[in-house]
Amino acid sequence: MTAAIATSGLVKSFGRIRALNRLDLTVESGEVHGFLGPNGAGKSTTVRVLLGLLRADSGGVEVLGGDPWRDAVALHRRMAYVPGDVELWPNLTGGETIDLLGRLRGGLDPVARAELIERFDLDPTRKGRTYSKGNRQKVAIVAALASDAELLLLDEPTSGLDPLMEAVFQDVIKKMKAEGRTVLLSSHILAQVEQLADRVSIIRRGEIAQTGTLAEMRHLTRTTIEADLDRPAVGLDQVPGVHDLVAEGGRVRFAVDGGHLDAAVRALTGFGLRGLTSHPPTLEELMLRHYGDELAEAGGGNR
Amino acid sequence: MTATTVREPSRAHTGRPPGHVLAGTGTLIRLILRRERIKLPSWLLGVTLLLAYFDTVVSESTKTPEQLQDVKRFTEGTIGAVFGPGYGRDAITTERYVVGVYGLFFFVLAALMTLLLVSRHTRLDEQHGRVELLRATVVGRYAQLTAVLAVAVGANALLALLLGGVLAGKGYDAGQGLLFGAGVAAVGLVFAGITAFTVQVTQYSRAATGIAGALLGAAWVVRAVGDMIQDHGSPLSWFSPLAWSNQTRPYVDGRWWPLLLSLGLATAATAAGYALSARRDVGAGLVAARTGAATAAPWLASPLAAAFRLQRSALFWWTAALSVFGFVFGGAADQIADADGISADRLDMFGGSADTLVSGYLGVITLFTAVFAGVMAVLGLQAVRAEEARGRAEPVLATATSRTAWLGGYVAVLSLGVVGLLLAAGFTTGLGAALSVGDAALLWDVTVAHLAHAPGVLVLLGVAVLLFGLLPRAIGATWALIGYSLFAGVFGTLLDLPQGVRDLLPMEHTGRPPLDDVPWPALAILLVIAAALTAAGIAGFRRRDLETR
Repeated sequence: MTAAIATSGLVKSFGRIRALNRLDLTVESGEVHGFLGPNGAGKSTTVRVLLGLLRADSGGVEVLGGDPWRDAVALHRRMAYVPGDVELWPNLTGGETIDLLGRLRGGLDPVARAELIERFDLDPTRKGRTYSKGNRQKVAIVAALASDAELLLLDEPTSGLDPLMEAVFQDVIKKMKAEGRTVLLSSHILAQVEQLADRVSIIRRGEIAQTGTLAEMRHLTRTTIEADLDRPAVGLDQVPGVHDLVAEGGRVRFAVDGGHLDAAVRALTGFGLRGLTSHPPTLEELMLRHYGDELAEAGGGNR
Repeated sequence: MTATTVREPSRAHTGRPPGHVLAGTGTLIRLILRRERIKLPSWLLGVTLLLAYFDTVVSESTKTPEQLQDVKRFTEGTIGAVFGPGYGRDAITTERYVVGVYGLFFFVLAALMTLLLVSRHTRLDEQHGRVELLRATVVGRYAQLTAVLAVAVGANALLALLLGGVLAGKGYDAGQGLLFGAGVAAVGLVFAGITAFTVQVTQYSRAATGIAGALLGAAWVVRAVGDMIQDHGSPLSWFSPLAWSNQTRPYVDGRWWPLLLSLGLATAATAAGYALSARRDVGAGLVAARTGAATAAPWLASPLAAAFRLQRSALFWWTAALSVFGFVFGGAADQIADADGISADRLDMFGGSADTLVSGYLGVITLFTAVFAGVMAVLGLQAVRAEEARGRAEPVLATATSRTAWLGGYVAVLSLGVVGLLLAAGFTTGLGAALSVGDAALLWDVTVAHLAHAPGVLVLLGVAVLLFGLLPRAIGATWALIGYSLFAGVFGTLLDLPQGVRDLLPMEHTGRPPLDDVPWPALAILLVIAAALTAAGIAGFRRRDLETR
């Protein structure tokens, strides 16, 4: 596999604010890559550098084998972009906007256009200023997805969509993936990334905190276990890797580090295991792990 | 079907005290004043200072009886009717001249101040969802409209006092000064009422202010045509709210009763606005927004076509407006060129010789139109800047559109727009002049004269493009150049500006065609400069980050 996007040591400052701080991001061809981080972490700045709309102060950027600043026009024929905050021309209809953006990219597939408009339930005859936020986003999504772009840069594309449209969007992205296209999906909606992404990068204060598949990341975090036991679980809190143990009668609940799962479950069987449920770590927990120190800092201020 | 009975929501408020529908008005007034704390005082102060400025200029240029007799011609015939019905011209004085001719500017400014104010705090707030936030609290149905109208009445009353104060301070009769101020405020109130009505009709503030603005234009046309038909106004004039304020005849034989008509119309329009506001939903208009084409026209497929599509209506309206004004001012050429009793100042302004007065006058008019073509071009480029700042450039530049093609497309459209405007306005001005003077050759001369100004205007555009590329936040600095061009072009000879200072202005090098011959070598140099500025601006744009929110 070759990398569709590869950045190394990317730095971008706006005045005194350092938006990107030696960012290393790699997105392989053909994968859906989740790009997670809270507001202001540098997601949009990264995407704009990848589009050549901003020039990096230092560091290397390669997109589809080219330099996004120098080869912007040639690369953009092969890329499509959905901004997070979609602004439309007030006096152009949604349909006109889709066509204009598609033609400026080098043409769009009329069949795909019609199908996407149908699926997203978009009225293309309305003027730009009359659309709600969600509908403006649909216009940008249809314009981007009706192209034959091999790389899709989607910057929080569904923040204004309702759950029904969210499901349509996930379906369409799965189809894109099956066609072999590469998708960089930036989001702070974790469930969505969990559904779609092959790999995830977590960005924090302008640098990548962690990259990997969800399985790899979960290995690094804790699984929550709930069990019904015949006898009181004496000494369970002594088992390495077990945290936050709560015991109520025959029922216990605890978290266990990924590397100690085996030992913890073995220990349970010694107390007459009657029922067992486990929850893999959610991305919320992954995120909390990476931002937990900031939360602690914020909380510490109150003490 | 469920058997639940749903209480019909009633739009008629039965038996409740009127306080309910006005709840929160006081707080909303304070909110409006807080939000307007810069804008409204700026308007009031600016309009007041403008009156002081006009009076100073007119006083300076009407010191002798000869000079007074000379400016009197601006109150006569077609040109006079453009400004007002011409009361008091038989015994013209400075104050009669100021309120009779310049009064129009104050009527228009008061109307614009008020209609923008009302729209800002009603429909614009509603469009942006701020009204929902307010109406969900303890705020009555009529509170918002009442609050903004209260502020509008207060602002116009203050304006009347300020304008009256300026005239009294200049040593003119204070009572008549207040009458003029009240006439200006009356126009403001009429348009407060009209806007209170139009904001109910359309869903978008731009459409609401557009309709009110169009009615202001129509009011001017009706008044001007009415006054052309008959001296001091024909029955047609009286259909215009602007005429009522003119008909108070301040400093001639002042009378207050025409302002009752203004108050009547303002009240009626406001009442209609209130009635409509109770019959519609929050956020909705009476006229549903129009839909458009589901697919783009086949030609809309390049950066150039997109630039044209987004700029075309502005270009069209500028061209249409300046063509109409050109025809009117061209048509006034015979009156201006009447050399009887002309003052030395005006002779200087129009070329310095009684023999070439027509060409001299047309040269000044041509320069005016050219500067306004520059205004259009710079406004156009500021719209391009807004495309970038509001984030609409981003998705376009994320397609296979280079920065050169994007910005170059706009510059090309604006340049062609400038040439087209000068051609159209030149033709109508020349036509008006040829008809009034009876010299067909003027048609050709004036058209060529307008086109000769194109390179100078393109240099102005080039300066704006350069700033866009290198220092986009400073693009407004181009306005200083445009303002100075107008000032130096009209008053340069009168004020003996040093030639070195005048040479810095692009339009100066074109001279004053049709009075002067067209300086072809200078035009070629201006074109080269314009091209160089544009190229440098585009090169700068290619090297900088795109600026978005």
